[in-house]
Amino acid sequence: MDLTMRGVTKSFGANNALRGVDFRLSGGEICALLGENGAGKSTLMNILGGVVPRDSGDVLIDGKPVSFAGPKYSLAAGIAFIHQELNLINDLTVYENLFLGREPRTRSGAIDIPRMRSEGRRMLEGMGVDLDVNAMTRGLDASYKQIVEIARAMMAAASIIIMDEPTSSLTDPEIERVFAMMRALRGQGVGIVFISHKLREVARIADRYAVLRDGEMVAEGNVADVTASDLARFMVGRDVRADALSQRLRSPRSVLRAERLTGNGFRDVSFDVHAGEILGFTGLLGDGRSELFLSIFGAGGPYTGSVYLDGKPFHPRGATRAADNGLAYLPRNRKENGIIPDMDALENGSIVVWPKISRFGFIDRRRQGDMFAGQVRALRIKLAKPTDMITSLSGGNQQKVVLAKWLSSNPRVLILDNPTQGVDVGAKEEIYDIILGLARQGVAIALLSSEAQEIIRVCDRALVMYHGAVAGEAWGETMRERAIMRLATGAGV
Amino acid sequence: MIGWLRRRWGGSSLFSTGAALFVMVILQTLALGFGFPSFGEWLSRWWMNWLNILRNNAGIGIIALGMTFVIISGGIDLAVGSTLVAVGAMVMALIDTGPRGVLLNLGITGASAYIIGIAAGLIMGAALGTLTGLLVTRGKLPPFIATLGTMKICRSVTQHFMQGYTPTVPRPFLQIASLKVGGLLVMPILYWLACAAIFYVISKRTAFGRHVIAVGSNERAARLSGVNVQRVKRMVYALVGVMAAASAILQVSRIGSMDYANAGSGNEMDAISAVIVGGTSMSGGRGFVLGTVLGTLIIAVMNNLLNLLGVPPFLREAFKGVIVIGAVLLQKREATS
Repeated sequence: MDLTMRGVTKSFGANNALRGVDFRLSGGEICALLGENGAGKSTLMNILGGVVPRDSGDVLIDGKPVSFAGPKYSLAAGIAFIHQELNLINDLTVYENLFLGREPRTRSGAIDIPRMRSEGRRMLEGMGVDLDVNAMTRGLDASYKQIVEIARAMMAAASIIIMDEPTSSLTDPEIERVFAMMRALRGQGVGIVFISHKLREVARIADRYAVLRDGEMVAEGNVADVTASDLARFMVGRDVRADALSQRLRSPRSVLRAERLTGNGFRDVSFDVHAGEILGFTGLLGDGRSELFLSIFGAGGPYTGSVYLDGKPFHPRGATRAADNGLAYLPRNRKENGIIPDMDALENGSIVVWPKISRFGFIDRRRQGDMFAGQVRALRIKLAKPTDMITSLSGGNQQKVVLAKWLSSNPRVLILDNPTQGVDVGAKEEIYDIILGLARQGVAIALLSSEAQEIIRVCDRALVMYHGAVAGEAWGETMRERAIMRLATGAGV
Repeated sequence: MIGWLRRRWGGSSLFSTGAALFVMVILQTLALGFGFPSFGEWLSRWWMNWLNILRNNAGIGIIALGMTFVIISGGIDLAVGSTLVAVGAMVMALIDTGPRGVLLNLGITGASAYIIGIAAGLIMGAALGTLTGLLVTRGKLPPFIATLGTMKICRSVTQHFMQGYTPTVPRPFLQIASLKVGGLLVMPILYWLACAAIFYVISKRTAFGRHVIAVGSNERAARLSGVNVQRVKRMVYALVGVMAAASAILQVSRIGSMDYANAGSGNEMDAISAVIVGGTSMSGGRGFVLGTVLGTLIIAVMNNLLNLLGVPPFLREAFKGVIVIGAVLLQKREATS
């Protein structure tokens, strides 16, 4: 099946999300769709998937024009959209999820469970997946859930599958499993649109690439002809730095010191962050670094061991106390942990300082506005007015607002957990600059990241964790991706 | 004209609530009829009818204000009616001028007894609310279950201890509700308005008010932003307890007695209905104090309208149900459009 999109436009109010975009996909190929947040990738794919209508332009399948009034219709035409947030019901079994909404019936009208089991099993076997159809979905790891989604698309006889950042929450072995699956589907003549921010994955799995920028298709071609940095340049429209940024400003003054911390998810962890230092923490999924810092921040589980802040024992009861003592914590998963969706940017950016700028419980609104305006300038947050709802901002700007709320509290210790998650390449560099600037001001920074590149570029040194324990330390010459990978996978130095 | 209004205020979330109230008031005015000898008589009839509506709904209106915060924070309180009975009974027992009057037997009478009675009532409301708050925060109980439990406990204990005891509420105490201002019985309305103004300011301007929204909108993010989520929840339930207590005191001073089996029963659902009709989201995070005042009025005016139209009393609850469902359907449509 061949897909052609021609001159597609779409605007949301005054915002031209797509300005005459051409896109094509043939059966049996994997095309990477790239672009920064807000470039129009999702809009383009939502039009293809029938989620939103287009303003003008054509969508042709095998030369015939089509138009989908809803996802139901695009699925019937063989186009399956696998969203980033998986749409599986955790409390149902694999086979129930595979047939959800299309359950076969027996003659008496009951659900035909034997048929669901056998057809589901046949489908998974055909895809070369060793997975029990009777398993509960809740117990599956993230890659198998992704595979169940793919299988569900295949059950609906999809010949085009759109995958929106399928690897964003997967570990390396899990990514391999999904990639193997994608290659197998390609072999069967299925066309796949692969949306991703991870350029090195694109280089490995995709045949072709198409890059959107500001609603226009700015580049396309064969992946084999370009390098990852070419793709990055297409996305942001200029050269992207890849140089090391760390500044080695470690002062002799220790700010946050931990001794032999053991708790749920981590054990026997000791470290020491000095003023002006950026200490990295990395590892694979389940390495315990987030749990460790949540506990130190007073928002996680209990632990044994001691933490010292400026040399004094520190064990906050609750995040409120930690914040009062000059700790700041930028959590991972912005949507779940970072933003308050019913509030505007101004309030999201100042909630931390309310206790400080209130008199008799009343928020000093002028100071609130001044402080936020200062952060908007310093962090170069792009918004029309401070009372814009937080959810109307792009991912990078949302992240900057979440950062702003902590920076306005003038923290001494800044804990950053995946600070550039879901942030496009341009905003990523800006966030790095902000982090480096804070280190220059003497803030002690713990940078938690799953991206080895990020750790290597920004941190002065890094602790690599494996199954809750520190597997080793990397600094200077040992700050190399392979060395970090070996530690993170438990392979030793 | 509606088009103009929509352009002018359509952006406000309270537009449709206000519009609904407006339509209700017009219908109600029509239902009142024009068969009066003079315009002056018609106006005074209309005005008295309105004072009646407001006075009769002040109690629910006050509880609904507290309920607004609870629901914005993502919770629910089913125990407000029982809190009202428990507080009412205690206040009456304290100020009783009969042989069993608690303060009387301690030798405290007059104004000081009333002040102690009122203060004790409000404190008891806060204490019962805090208990709920502790069950929700420390005990990690869903608020529905925690307050279902306290609802049963409060009413049953009150009924047991008040068996065969009819306290005498002293006449001066009744002045709290029936003091006339400019010849009109408006004290309950004034209390309601004052509470509404206070709640509005708390919700819009104070850190606590904004924290309530943050907790209801994304509890995890609020906690990770240093918001003391447990304290916010405790305070929200304490506050609704205080409002139920205020409503109890108002009721005691209006009627001078209380039917322990029935007083306040159904108040929880009436308050929740008013909050919902006012546009506050049941899932928390989004809500309006002013909306709740409008919501209370919509239900009140509708009741009055049905009364004027002679709709049989048993059928009136059905209309209340229709209003609640209709309001939420409307809000859903607006949210998606």
